[in-house]
Amino acid sequence: MPNKNGNVYGLTILSPIIDDDKATPSHDLQIRRYLATLPTGERSPFALAPGTHLARLVVMDDVIYVGMPACEEHLESKYLVFESNCDGELDNYLNGLAASVSEQLDAIWSHCVGYPGAANRQAFIDYMKACQIETTFFFAAVNDKSVSETLRALQTQHAVADFIASHQGMDPARLQAEFAQFVAELRSAPVPKAGSMGQPRDIKTGGRNE
Amino acid sequence: MSNINGKVYAMNAITPMKPWKTFVLRGFFFLLGHIKPLQQDLINLSFIEFARWVVLPRKRFPYLGNGQLQEDLQYDYLLFFSNFNGTWNQYIDAFSAVLSKGLNLVWRWSEKFPGSVPVTPFKQYIARVQFDTDYYYTAYPHTTANDLKSAHIVQASLDSLCQNAQSCDPEQFADAYLRFVLEVQSHLGETGEAPTVF
Repeated sequence: MPNKNGNVYGLTILSPIIDDDKATPSHDLQIRRYLATLPTGERSPFALAPGTHLARLVVMDDVIYVGMPACEEHLESKYLVFESNCDGELDNYLNGLAASVSEQLDAIWSHCVGYPGAANRQAFIDYMKACQIETTFFFAAVNDKSVSETLRALQTQHAVADFIASHQGMDPARLQAEFAQFVAELRSAPVPKAGSMGQPRDIKTGGRNE
Repeated sequence: MSNINGKVYAMNAITPMKPWKTFVLRGFFFLLGHIKPLQQDLINLSFIEFARWVVLPRKRFPYLGNGQLQEDLQYDYLLFFSNFNGTWNQYIDAFSAVLSKGLNLVWRWSEKFPGSVPVTPFKQYIARVQFDTDYYYTAYPHTTANDLKSAHIVQASLDSLCQNAQSCDPEQFADAYLRFVLEVQSHLGETGEAPTVF
């Protein structure tokens, strides 16, 4: 199924935005203003709800005219595009969003045609599915790891780098004992919060923007 | 609004296609999805975390009633969403240099596509059909696709070392630990600085 690549789901939703001449400011501008205030880090609604690797929200004002000899045409509605790369099955993911961040979902999608609100869970899921467009081709660099597995692996990578750097040339018995303690501490440490930037590290593998 | 969050850039593009051409494009994507070696260049580039192409037929724009006007369009549309590491120019340059044949097969069905080589008209075309991101979230903003792959390699190696760490004597452990270090040593650093948001 093109919407999935391995265990990752590629969700594409286009929700028509309400076109109301009397609304001031217009609904699309209200969405944009709200999105501009929404946190993008660990307080992001997508960090608070489970299962989002990367997601974006975009107001699509119109289709794009590429010039002659193509025909110029325009959309009747503006659309809110929701593109998400998430774990597992769609129903579970949408349920998780509605259960965790219904207030933010309502603040965004209440400007869209026919949005029923996140409180009515089944209506919310049905609405999202009605607006879903099937992905034609979906590529994922890593397609078999969940968000929490990835955050855990990044935490492990950082910790292992520090451990190796500080245990060079140590005698085997002490190394083994300290390794056992290191692993126990690492396993009991909480998984880092989704969306957190983390501390920049000294060890680099390459140049800028590699 | 920003197309950038940490080390990831969100790109959106939409291009018009004559409806009969979308069938050809769907056929190409079907082959690309089912013949993995065809994806090798995309995988080897290793700076794309997630990307997707969505063919949107002109009669399939979501219509929900409630006063919404139905779309009346002549073209089908190809939507492209990419989450990549680095800057826009690096991305388009690399696409043009490494994936030009594949890109031509994807976009040659779109109106006025000039081809991905030479790069100047290609960049002009992409800039024209791109639209900006209003909100962009990533669960691991300080991480590139290479960082992700490396982190999972380190995790798997560590898990493997842990399986035998308790049962072996210190000398055996030291040997296994050395092999572990050799295995992960090139996967411990992080990639360079994030692009700057202007």
